[in-house]
Amino acid sequence: MSGGNPATPGRRRVPAPGGEVSGGNLAARQAQLVAALVAGGPLPPGFAAAPVEAARRALLRKRAGDVARHWPLLAAGVGDAWPATFAGWAAGRPTNGSLRDGWDLARELRDRGTLPPLGAEELAAREAATRYDGRTAPRPRRLPAVARAGGAVAAQLAGRVRLLRPAPR
Amino acid sequence: MTGPSGVGIGWRPEIAGFVAGLPGLRFVEVVAESVAPAGPLPDGLAELRGRGVTVVPHGVKLSLGGAEPVDPARVAHLAGVAAALDAPLVSEHIAFVRAGGVEAGHLLPLPRSREAVAAVVANVRRTQAELPVPLALEPIAALFDWPDDELDEADFLTEILDATGALLLLDVANVHANACNRGGDPTALLDRLPLDRIAYVHVAGGAEHGGFYHDTHTDPVPAEVLDLVRELCDRRPPPALLLERDGHYPPAAELRGELDALAAASGHPVVT
Repeated sequence: MSGGNPATPGRRRVPAPGGEVSGGNLAARQAQLVAALVAGGPLPPGFAAAPVEAARRALLRKRAGDVARHWPLLAAGVGDAWPATFAGWAAGRPTNGSLRDGWDLARELRDRGTLPPLGAEELAAREAATRYDGRTAPRPRRLPAVARAGGAVAAQLAGRVRLLRPAPR
Repeated sequence: MTGPSGVGIGWRPEIAGFVAGLPGLRFVEVVAESVAPAGPLPDGLAELRGRGVTVVPHGVKLSLGGAEPVDPARVAHLAGVAAALDAPLVSEHIAFVRAGGVEAGHLLPLPRSREAVAAVVANVRRTQAELPVPLALEPIAALFDWPDDELDEADFLTEILDATGALLLLDVANVHANACNRGGDPTALLDRLPLDRIAYVHVAGGAEHGGFYHDTHTDPVPAEVLDLVRELCDRRPPPALLLERDGHYPPAAELRGELDALAAASGHPVVT
């Protein structure tokens, strides 16, 4: 220990009898907290609502940035609305990893008819190269494939992907 | 390979060219989960290793603070990355990132309780048993506290470090953020932490947002954080300090300015 000032105003609280944390069971309490932050669960007892809500929103912003790195054209196509668009989709939905999160969001925007052209081209290229069932990790396609999304058409042959038709602007 | 020394920067693919052009650079950090131990290293990293630059793998998904045991596959990956980079040490966080099979997506704080200390210590020991090099532990920034802390921050961290023999990766931006959002005097915390255990220091930028200070790594380093660097160096100069930037990358001149400010505040040589 270096430094020499023991008179720090720490926020000490009295341990519960027997050294047990009141409520005990760290695993269950951690699961409750994660559920509140990312899966729409209730605020666990004793936590301050405003800071936990701020943390929930911060997690969504962080995820939005991570997904944008995996889906740069999708995020660029959505533009300034990206953080809000992503947060609106991701709130209450735990992450399956940035690749799958972006994929699921792109498909939902496609189904809603709001996928921007850049995002459509990125989605078509990904779907031509990779098989993704929406439930498990995407896997590279071994056979040639053609994929369409939002008017964009991409083809894959021996692992090489070409955009055959851009999405209409 | 030698331990971290001087002023470094977090290596990211987006700024690989900038980092490669820093003439005095002697160490960088790379997100461990982004490196495949068996595969070829990313071009920029391989070049830095060739120049003798120390590369420290920095894990973000081990969940050392999880109540469940760490995933042996994740530990093996971290160990493999350390070997592939010939790293002198690796670092991870005192935090949990998943629980009950659900991913939080980022680092979450632990209750400062005996139960949590025991969980972290058990996981750190499991990890240390598989690592070829020492482990440095980083206390995180958080926006909220658990309702039933038994220890204060300094005692919580010191107990974990004492029980595991781990090194300390002190993030002064996290110290600043926690003081803003959770209260406490940041310099008083520096007085009580085991500064002799510091392997290196993190410095990063952040911003106010909705009444909280957010440790974003996408904004400039605020003056208050540089002041804390000076406070730390007055007490015990750390062997190395590393700038973390994770997005909204500024023009090169601005990033060089941040590295120069770190060098000036710490007394380490300029690397730009």
